[in-house]
Amino acid sequence: MKTIIRFEHVSKVYGSENTEVRALSDVNLTVEAGEYCAIMGPSGSGKSTAMNVIGCLDRPTSGSYYLDGVDVAQLNDHELAHIRNRKIGFVFQQFHLLPQLSAMENVMLPMVYAGIPLPQRQQRATEALTRVGLANRLNNRPNQLSGGQQQRVAIARAIVNQPVLLLADEPTGALDSHTTQEVMAIFAELNASGITVVMVTHESEVARLTRRVVWFRDGQVIHPNLSPTNLAQVTVAAV
Amino acid sequence: MDILESVKMAVKTLTANKLRSTLTMLGIIIGNASVITMVGVGQGAQRYASGQFESLGPNVLFVIPGSSESRNRTLDMPRTLTLEDAKAIATQVPTVSGVAPQLQTQQAVVYSNRSTSALILGTTPDFSSVRTFDVAKGRFISDLDVQRGTRSVALGPDLAKSLFGTSDPLGQTIRIKNISFQVIGIMEAKGAFLGNNQDDVAYIPLSTMSDQITGNTSPYGTEVTFISIAARDENSVGAAQFQITNLLRLRHKIVTDDDFTVRTQKDALEVVGNVAGALTIMLAAIAGISLFVGGIGIMNIMLVSVRERTQEIGLRKAIGASQDDILVQFIIEAIILAALGGAVGTLIGVGGVTLVSMVSPLKAGVSPAAVIIAVGVSSGIGLFFGVVPARQAAKLDPIVALRSA
Repeated sequence: MKTIIRFEHVSKVYGSENTEVRALSDVNLTVEAGEYCAIMGPSGSGKSTAMNVIGCLDRPTSGSYYLDGVDVAQLNDHELAHIRNRKIGFVFQQFHLLPQLSAMENVMLPMVYAGIPLPQRQQRATEALTRVGLANRLNNRPNQLSGGQQQRVAIARAIVNQPVLLLADEPTGALDSHTTQEVMAIFAELNASGITVVMVTHESEVARLTRRVVWFRDGQVIHPNLSPTNLAQVTVAAV
Repeated sequence: MDILESVKMAVKTLTANKLRSTLTMLGIIIGNASVITMVGVGQGAQRYASGQFESLGPNVLFVIPGSSESRNRTLDMPRTLTLEDAKAIATQVPTVSGVAPQLQTQQAVVYSNRSTSALILGTTPDFSSVRTFDVAKGRFISDLDVQRGTRSVALGPDLAKSLFGTSDPLGQTIRIKNISFQVIGIMEAKGAFLGNNQDDVAYIPLSTMSDQITGNTSPYGTEVTFISIAARDENSVGAAQFQITNLLRLRHKIVTDDDFTVRTQKDALEVVGNVAGALTIMLAAIAGISLFVGGIGIMNIMLVSVRERTQEIGLRKAIGASQDDILVQFIIEAIILAALGGAVGTLIGVGGVTLVSMVSPLKAGVSPAAVIIAVGVSSGIGLFFGVVPARQAAKLDPIVALRSA
């Protein structure tokens, strides 16, 4: 099986000597292709920093991070941008759709940066939006869509460049329980089709719908492989 | 990402906030419109003045009293030029074909119960040929008139009209400074010269002028205001200028500083060119400042825009935009604002120039070079003032940018 994420002694330190904050401290973590896992932990546990490093938005201070076999710790800005564009699909809590663009145009944006010609962009954006159930909302602006629909547009945007990793940061944080179910169903379906999904969440109901939970505390992974089914007891114990 | 995509993206962003984009462009629009108008008007003024001097004819020279320095020192014109000088030039300078000394003053002119103020110009018969003022009716002043100091007057058409209306002035008597003159001729219309009406003039013999109107005012002889001279042809103007200068230096016993100036049409055109050139540069500089201020306006708005769009920038970076992509995007937005503003400003400027040439005698025109320079410069300003905000945007940390709510 192919390894998508491999952290080897990854540390991330913010600030200078006196005010030093160790956000990640010697973290080892492996996520295989096809996994569906949630990263959990109390605030300040380092899960957001881990997320940023996994998403190539940030570089580790020390240690190595292999994404799909590539050591990304040493890449420059241009190469990181390329990796984010081709290998990672981001989904955010606040959707981050561009308000002046239609659903279709928002989904095409990653392909614009990938240099894909327009006809192909339109075709693939339509396919992606159809996949998340928005085939009839192609030309709507974000403000003409509900929260759940906006998040589905964001998911379509994340998968349109066929990434090896779908990375979601509190993807249901801004949604009600009904639309949370809808969005989680889409994640499950995408995972079933082979996409590796990693999401940061603090909601155990959401984490329960994944297949593996990674528990962070104080910048370290204290439970690398919790079963989501008996999460409740562990969560209480861990906190 | 290729440039075309960046341009499309920028257009989309700019049209999403039309009011702000328009207001941002306003500085550049005004700057460019004023550059085009000012330069157009400046060049129009130059063409107008040049045209006026060219209409004098290429073989005309003027002798005016005083050197250019001494004229600047006193309010009054020096009274160093005399009728005798004019006569000497006519008889002793071989390259000269006609000499017309002029002595002029503004006086009240009265006919019956009508009175008006007009320029009274005492001169000799040569004036008509040297300055190409033709007689429409009757005759011009003759040598006999000058010899005898007759009280004869030839009227410019405008003066004739304001005194006599539609009735025939020939043979009638008018009063200048309470002295009676008989009208002997009416001149053809000549139009204005540098804004002075040349048709509101009464021509009388020079001798009559100096003896009876102005009196003898110069210690050197019969004073003249200036002397118009026609050289034999265009090629002998230079020689004539040289010979006249030498003759007058001898006559005036000059050792160091000339007390007169001999001017050719070419000299006058040069002066006009210099003055108008300086004027154009000054106008362009003022307009250029407003263009610069417009550029600062663009930078200001772009800086605000980067602040406002931090999340957008963070998102773009997260989905694969490199620093260069962001840099290019913001610079292109600035260039589009400036170039479009420049184009609109140019159109308004062309309109302004057209308006000026319609309501004034200045034949103002827009040179294609001015348009190209103006639009090019404003695009350059967009590039220049767009770089700082664009660099700020490009350097944003995507994590911070995405989290700023």
